[in-house]
Amino acid sequence: MKNILLILSTSRTSQDAIEYAVNLAKKEKAKLVVLYIIETELTQEIFDKFTDIGFIGDKPSTQLTEAIMKEYRQRGYEEMGKVQIRAMEENVDFDAVTTQGDFVEKSLDVIERYKIDTAVAIKRKRSVFLKYFSKSIVDELVERASCKIEVFEE
Amino acid sequence: MKVIIDRRPIWVIVLVRSLRPIFFLALGFIFWYLINIPTPSGLTIQGQRALALFVVCLILWVTDALPLAITSLMAIVMVPLLGVMDKKAAYALFGNEAVFFILGAFILSAAVMHSGLASRIAVLIMDRFGNTPKGLLASIFLLAAVLSFFMSEHAVAAMLFPIVLEIAKGLNLKPGKSNYAKSLFLALAWGCVIGGVATFLGGARVPLAAGMLKEATGITIGFFEYTMVVFPTVVILLFIGYIGLTRFFPQDIQDIHLAKDVFARKIKGLGKMGYTEYAVGILMLITISSWLLFSRMAGIANIAIIAVVALFVLKLVRWKDIEEYVNWGIILMYGGAITLGAAMEKSGAAAWLANTVIGDWANSPVLVIAVFSLLTILLTEGMSNAAVIAILLPVSIGMAGRFNLDPQIITYAIAIPAGLAFCFPMSTPANAIAVSSGYITARDMAKAGIVMMITAWIVFNIMAKVYWPILGIKI
Repeated sequence: MKNILLILSTSRTSQDAIEYAVNLAKKEKAKLVVLYIIETELTQEIFDKFTDIGFIGDKPSTQLTEAIMKEYRQRGYEEMGKVQIRAMEENVDFDAVTTQGDFVEKSLDVIERYKIDTAVAIKRKRSVFLKYFSKSIVDELVERASCKIEVFEE
Repeated sequence: MKVIIDRRPIWVIVLVRSLRPIFFLALGFIFWYLINIPTPSGLTIQGQRALALFVVCLILWVTDALPLAITSLMAIVMVPLLGVMDKKAAYALFGNEAVFFILGAFILSAAVMHSGLASRIAVLIMDRFGNTPKGLLASIFLLAAVLSFFMSEHAVAAMLFPIVLEIAKGLNLKPGKSNYAKSLFLALAWGCVIGGVATFLGGARVPLAAGMLKEATGITIGFFEYTMVVFPTVVILLFIGYIGLTRFFPQDIQDIHLAKDVFARKIKGLGKMGYTEYAVGILMLITISSWLLFSRMAGIANIAIIAVVALFVLKLVRWKDIEEYVNWGIILMYGGAITLGAAMEKSGAAAWLANTVIGDWANSPVLVIAVFSLLTILLTEGMSNAAVIAILLPVSIGMAGRFNLDPQIITYAIAIPAGLAFCFPMSTPANAIAVSSGYITARDMAKAGIVMMITAWIVFNIMAKVYWPILGIKI
């Protein structure tokens, strides 16, 4: 049985990508694995900013980070729920993985662990300036992944 | 063990890995060069060395290559090492009144947060006035502002964020899509930013500026005096800010009764108001009244420290609680900035720099204030507002002498705009917190923030020209 991976994250979700992944899994009679990555870079950046220039100590900073992470986790569960409903409607076998950390490394881990055939990833729209000076992490994933990656631009 | 292979081209890897050493080598070379070039006319050798150190600190503060506090510590050490001031005088500046005021304000702010008083006030006010979408928006905006009059704006943002997040979730607002959610989180950030400039308590930058002014010129700015100067500007900005929030993000929600459930749950969770909350509240009222009425006579730092002692006499907090709420490292930043500012002033470097670099184009005091406030408001969008003060204030105080301008005026022109960072998440922690919610994007914040920043600069300059003379501050 083939495995299709849909990669969602705190800042990368798309209804079109969800539809595409569910339909692809149905067409290929594949199992749909949904990976939700909670990105920690932004909260870490805020925590660092507080430590570096902020007026407040560790406890409020930690409480704030926890509040943000809780929100991100809840958002992840909601997104997973949406995909699960669509998968059930289309009679597609479904598995879910929630994790936090680096987008590329976590995606590669799951691709390897589930022996994924095709992965669907979402690329955020970026300004021409950013495109010129830096590579998107989805491009990096495409380069390093052992499977085919279908990219959706948000 | 997992091995990760870096697949980038070798030249990219080498370049990336050597950037930091190259940066510090280049910085060392700039410092060596500035120390060794022939001393320009009108500048003493001590002034030249102070200026070299200032340039190095400026680069480090702007680039964030080192933590702000470490750059400041370096400044304290280098001032006596370079012979700009003697050791005793340089280290004594760390014991400046402003540093102890900031320390006292940190501890008092920690006590208010730890007691739960601030959260209770916040929830009760939102519940009382948040009956309509506009009412709720206004109550979050004004609450963030008013709380920032009395405690650190960063602490206020951190404290109110979970409440606003629960409101947004309770109302089923869609992250990144709902205009109302965008306006709620921006109201939180802007409220903290605008309210934070109203008194000495909103952030450490104003006491820092007052401390630098006192060390350089002996002039003191009182708590009440500062509040009188800035307060009308704050009121106008709050009014414009509210209009801006409703215009930039037109309301897309009619019913907010679900938010009431959030408040009811929160109020129930808070329980009855206890002894600690009452006592901390009364102590804060007495302390703020003392700052307003007796700061010139008793000294702002003395009042702050007496209030801190009273906290412990009344057993309202334990030292362990305070330790968790205070960012001790950042106090070093302020001590170092004051030392560097005093070194620039006392060595004549500040006046020389002001006359040489800026003197040619500045031909009127009004223009000087307009340009310095513009420079401040632009710089503060990209770097720590305390660092902006540390960089610009010594030069601008030097500039004041050229026009017989009261250095107090130029201090206001730097200290007030330094807090008005509206545009980017990196500008101030309050903005970063709002964007981290995911309900408002950095792009939304920048679009509205740029308009607000320009408006704030115009309002500030109009008030300086029109209102300040009423208080006897003539430009």
